[in-house]
Amino acid sequence: MNVRARKRSAGGREAKLAARKEASRKHAPAFIERRIPVYEMLDEGSLELIESNADTLLQEIGVEFRDFPQALKLFKDAGADVTGELVRFPRGLCRSIVKATAPAEYTQYARNPERNVIIGGPRTVLVPAYGSPFVRDLDKGRRYATLEDFRNFVKLTYSSTGLHHSGGTVCEPVDIPVNKRHFDMVYSHIKYSDKPFMGSVTRPERAEDSVAMAKIVFGDEFVENNAVMTSLINVNSPLTYDSTMLGSLTVYARHNQATVISPFILSGAMSPVTVAATAAQILAEALVGMAYAQLVRPGAPVIFGMFSSAISMQSGAPTFGTPEPSLVLYTVASLARRLGVPFRSGGGLCSSKIPDAQAAYESANTLQTAALAGVNFMLHTAGWLEGGLSMGYEKFIMDIDQADMLAVLLHGVDFSENGQAMDAFREVGPGKHFLGCAHTRANFETAFYRSKVADNNSFEQWEEDGSLDTAMRANKIWKKMLAEYEAPPLDPAIDEALLDFMARRKAQFADQNY
Amino acid sequence: MNSSNEQAEMDDAEDFELADLPDDELVHQIHDDLYDGLKEEIEEGTNILLERGWAAEKVLNEALVGGMKIVGIDFRDGILFVPEVLLAANAMKGGMTILRPLLAETGVKPIGKMVIGTVKGDIHDIGKNLVGMMMEGAGFEVIDIGINNSVDDYFEAMEQHHPDILGMSALLTTTMPYMKVVVDEMVKKGIRGDYIVMVGGAPLNEEFGVAVGADAYCRDASQAVQTGQRLLQQRRAAAGA
Ligand code: B1M
Repeated sequence: MNVRARKRSAGGREAKLAARKEASRKHAPAFIERRIPVYEMLDEGSLELIESNADTLLQEIGVEFRDFPQALKLFKDAGADVTGELVRFPRGLCRSIVKATAPAEYTQYARNPERNVIIGGPRTVLVPAYGSPFVRDLDKGRRYATLEDFRNFVKLTYSSTGLHHSGGTVCEPVDIPVNKRHFDMVYSHIKYSDKPFMGSVTRPERAEDSVAMAKIVFGDEFVENNAVMTSLINVNSPLTYDSTMLGSLTVYARHNQATVISPFILSGAMSPVTVAATAAQILAEALVGMAYAQLVRPGAPVIFGMFSSAISMQSGAPTFGTPEPSLVLYTVASLARRLGVPFRSGGGLCSSKIPDAQAAYESANTLQTAALAGVNFMLHTAGWLEGGLSMGYEKFIMDIDQADMLAVLLHGVDFSENGQAMDAFREVGPGKHFLGCAHTRANFETAFYRSKVADNNSFEQWEEDGSLDTAMRANKIWKKMLAEYEAPPLDPAIDEALLDFMARRKAQFADQNY
Repeated sequence: MNSSNEQAEMDDAEDFELADLPDDELVHQIHDDLYDGLKEEIEEGTNILLERGWAAEKVLNEALVGGMKIVGIDFRDGILFVPEVLLAANAMKGGMTILRPLLAETGVKPIGKMVIGTVKGDIHDIGKNLVGMMMEGAGFEVIDIGINNSVDDYFEAMEQHHPDILGMSALLTTTMPYMKVVVDEMVKKGIRGDYIVMVGGAPLNEEFGVAVGADAYCRDASQAVQTGQRLLQQRRAAAGA
């Protein structure tokens, strides 16, 4: 008799569940390596025309640098024409400064090296939404965000396979004094996640504090030579930079930290209403900010950022997911590639107040466009509602499902032997089915994207399960994710040093709410 | 006027002089001209009515305010677009510039004056600009002190312009608490009661308006106009009583 050697507890239900859980963890790469081409919408001549118009804007109209003499001096020394706070640039000056020293791609280091991300080239890094003062969920509705909400979104992001970066102001912890919030935000990113994160930009001192905290984690010298933060600098369009943003930009560049230089445009109010004009303005504004970073510290990593939406000409309210901003996005993505710097845009943008059909359609439009356009750093991938005023728990879950799907799409088509699956045809032959063949058995678990939110069951089963709509299903998922969250280990000495630094700094000045 | 059809229609339409119209038709024409944002025509129409012996107050209420009411309603209902309302408000401003000194002479209370600005640390101004535009459209005199305003900036503007309403805008949770700093300082200086304080900006809400000690939180520009009118009326009624 042939007795097969068997190990106890090596099979069965528990073993399979454990193996699947482990597999899903392993299959979460640090970022997306793109294997499909980008969608180049415009021809060479059109792009050249936009570049030439951007040069004309910089040469003829110029850019204002409000209350920030240091930028005026640096640009003057570089050959620009400075009148008061207005700077005009000889054609090609900014482009040549950027091209000379701005890296085409860079690594942003995470405290867990497996989570380091490469930003630029054929890669995409997905990042949660940023900046909303409110949060919303099905149970408690819309309310001002708190530090607890902030931690929750850091934890949810950490637990999301599709998000590669912990983000920055995932929501505004309104319960903490304004002048001390940044400590708790940076600390939460470090403590509750091991993915890379963004620093504070709302005051230059807060940027310095962010750098100081990063140094506790990564060491002084490492930080001065490597990017461990990527932070968001918005242009005050049209054609204006303010001292807050310039101050923070200067701090980060000086410490060799990365910045996303983002014209954040509501066309109609902040730029002319047409695609070609908006793209030219975005290029002009971004060029200037990136050039400034290079003048502060040659080689400091910069991302060509852009956020483009339109305002409703009937009310002035921002709109999202409409076709014109998609055209702007494709255009500017090409311009960034021609310049040779990483590109930020996109996200699950919508103006819906709740995670409904409007939210889903609008978000899908921008997510798909951004993915095809070749965005390298996709801020606002998950959670965005209400034009960025609200971070939605259920919306977040719907969006991370999309994020996971984008990764599959961008990976393209597998042409290996397994991908061609000729053996499956040989085994099955005509008129039968593929469900049990060896090739299917070897591939079924990962063959098709399995949505965590969608319901594909029969009507009867769906009804039996409680007739739940998308948001109701998502509600259960985020709660489960939070319940199952386990913090990544953090060296207790580092933790203590961070807490000590925060306590000392917080004691140095009084709470202030502005 | 971008379509050639429209142009042709205009050419076909009969030429007329505003001055030839009888009063009722002229008032109707002024309503239409406000709707179409024709500043020079509004100024002309205003002057004609005055020359015909209309009291400034009557011109204001029947011709101008009446016309802008229609503009306001159609903006709220999405029929008129922002650039059109901007033109209409500008035309209204033209008429108001003529009427304001006359109203003052005859002791008629002007519609009202507002100082508006975005608070310190904040550069968001699209919403504030819309509010200013709509207030002007409703006949208010608006002094826009721009962005990034400190307590001193607001106080200086109040001293210089003696507005009825102080409007503050903020779009950041990090700057909106500054509204309370301004209101507290007004209380401290004993001048809080002299002004109606209205606040707005997307991250605010009703509750927050109460918390900073404002008289009203306004969710949008149309509501700011209505609220401003209502509060000013109440205040004047209370003062008169
Ligand atoms: C009587 O007085 C009254 C009465 C009614 C009043 C009133 C005053 N003021 C307004 N109202 C009301 O009536 C108006 C008309 O109906 C309405 O005005 P609104 O202003 O609400 O509406 C306008 C018509 C259209 N809406 C807007 O213009 C604001 C839109 C959003 C997208 C926005 C924009 C456009 C910008 N931004 Co800013 N921006 C956002 C905004 C998100 C959002 N959806 O609101 C918000 C407010 N921004 C934010 C952030 C974070 C920032 N922004 C910044 C910069 C900018 C731009 C320069 C790019 C640009 C402003 C351009 C400009 N000239 O204003 C930075 C700060 C700069 C600074 N120092 O202030 C920066 C800090 C960016 C960064 N790097 O982190 C977020 C706030 C976060 C927080 N802490 O609260 C934000 C919610 C977006 C986000 N999710 O990140 C009503 O609120």
